[in-house]
Amino acid sequence: MSEFGAFRPPPDILPEAAATRGRAGRAGRGRPAPGRPGESRWRRPGFVRLLGVVLLVLLWVYIAFINENVPGITEVLAFLWTELSGGSHGGMVLRGEFWPPLLDSLQRYAIGLIIGIPMGVALGLLVGASSVARGLLNDTTLALLGLPTVVWAFLAFLWFGLTDSGPIIAVVLTVVPFVAVNVSAGVRSIDRGLVEMSRSFRVPWPRLTGTLLLGGTLPSACTGIRLAFTAGWNSLLIVEWFGATSGVGWRARFWYDALRYPGFVAWVLVYVVLIVLLDRLMLRPLERRAFRWSERPVLVAR
Amino acid sequence: MATVLIDNLTKIFPPTATHPSQVQALGGVNISVTGNVLVAILGPSGSGKTTLLNIVAGVEEPTSGTVRAVQDSVPAQISYVFQEPRLLPWRTVVDNMLYVQDRKSDRSRREAEFYLSMVGLSEVGDLYPSQLSAGMQQRVGIARAFLVNPDVLLMDEPFSHLDALTGRSLREYVQRIWLQTRKTALLVTHDVNEAVELADRIVLLRPGGVIYDDIPVDLPRPRFPDNPAVRDVQADVLRRFDSMGAAVQFGGARR
Ligand SMILES: Nc1ncnc2c1ncn2[C@@H]1O[C@H](COP(=O)(O)OP(=O)(O)O)[C@@H](O)[C@H]1O
Ligand SMILES: [Mg+2]
Repeated sequence: MSEFGAFRPPPDILPEAAATRGRAGRAGRGRPAPGRPGESRWRRPGFVRLLGVVLLVLLWVYIAFINENVPGITEVLAFLWTELSGGSHGGMVLRGEFWPPLLDSLQRYAIGLIIGIPMGVALGLLVGASSVARGLLNDTTLALLGLPTVVWAFLAFLWFGLTDSGPIIAVVLTVVPFVAVNVSAGVRSIDRGLVEMSRSFRVPWPRLTGTLLLGGTLPSACTGIRLAFTAGWNSLLIVEWFGATSGVGWRARFWYDALRYPGFVAWVLVYVVLIVLLDRLMLRPLERRAFRWSERPVLVAR
Repeated sequence: MATVLIDNLTKIFPPTATHPSQVQALGGVNISVTGNVLVAILGPSGSGKTTLLNIVAGVEEPTSGTVRAVQDSVPAQISYVFQEPRLLPWRTVVDNMLYVQDRKSDRSRREAEFYLSMVGLSEVGDLYPSQLSAGMQQRVGIARAFLVNPDVLLMDEPFSHLDALTGRSLREYVQRIWLQTRKTALLVTHDVNEAVELADRIVLLRPGGVIYDDIPVDLPRPRFPDNPAVRDVQADVLRRFDSMGAAVQFGGARR
């Protein structure tokens, strides 16, 4: 370092621009900045989102009011309370049941994801990195992605009957193509120029894979995994509806078949609230972390 | 002392979907560079300049001929400044620089910051590339190239994507760092003024990748663009460059 001790770079058009950009960038990275005084609250995402939920509830109340077949909000919540507290459901001998169906579903979901995500990542890496594998598998994966979930549900039911394996396999089969397609898109989106740069500087291959390959794939892999969480949960519900003896989907159908519509709606509500919470509280924050370096939109391959 | 020996180098790209006939990018290039000199390779766009540097850097294979880049008879450490910055977008500026460096310690981080300050960038080490202007990103690319303390420095039109003002100031930075380090360097450019400002020697390349002229530049450093002596040489090189253009255009050498 000392040999350059006397060196003074000439003054220049310099970092004011960078400094302000940097601050703006940092603010933009975290949560959306609270609205400035005088700024319309319509621009605040939190406010608009809350408004959306309120409108949805109002719509529900209204439809329940004009159509007596649609259970009202209080009926549904009351039903949910009976399920939760294990109380009696009126004239029937049936008692409320909440945690066993929910935990069954969550367990199947978790197992399906734990099996499906690594499989999807491996398949995606293979398809992304090798043109032979791409030729063999890409169209197949895309075709599988296009299959409606209900097809998986029936296939899983046909193959495995009323066991735990059916729902789990359905989750796996839904998750794998979502993850694979996005991971392979991530691999292929890696800038060739960056690979050339690494090779010309003789960057050792462990660092090249660990930094360039992984870092370049991560954004779209994250997106794929987030999509897979939602899609897997959907297919789980459908399989449980048609071919299971426990679980959220089974319980919803149970009340549907018993013509107890508040029960049906209550469980659909449980189902929706769970996935929304998972997405908002866990998946999106994780994804945002992975994208700290950029506010650019992410590639979503479907 | 570092030496780059380019011996009868030919590169022919096979036909592609977009380009149905094969392309001769380099047609038997011989260049020998030894010691602390900066050689400019000057040619119009498409004359094979980038291909030449890519082969020297080892990221492209020649069709025939050889390239040897050695430092005291062991393979030389090469560094490369590309036409674009080529930074990993998800890594901070300093992490981008350390990515190409072997040792990772406190010291190398301070070294990175030092080379950043040499190109007029300080306090940007923790920012991401997307938070910098194009000119600043290009400077990071230059700082990165010097950080690895290369034996041979390759630069591919490092100023061509920048506006004139930024390009000019960056040229000044490069000249000053080069004067401090005196790395054996190959600078590819299509800009006559740039070549004269920076180089000890200018190799004129014509389309098809054939050497047309080899011009020594004996001017004291530092050189400034408005210096009369610099201007005279620029005018002379420009004349030769133009005569090459005429020869190519009317001499039927195009193929
Ligand atoms: N990968 C490639 N495939 C086919 N042709 C190429 C490829 N790279 C460069 N060329 C062709 O080789 C010639 C020289 O290209 P290049 O070295 O990029 O020139 P320059 O850097 O002087 O503009 C051009 O005609 C270009 O189209
Ligand atoms: Mg080029």
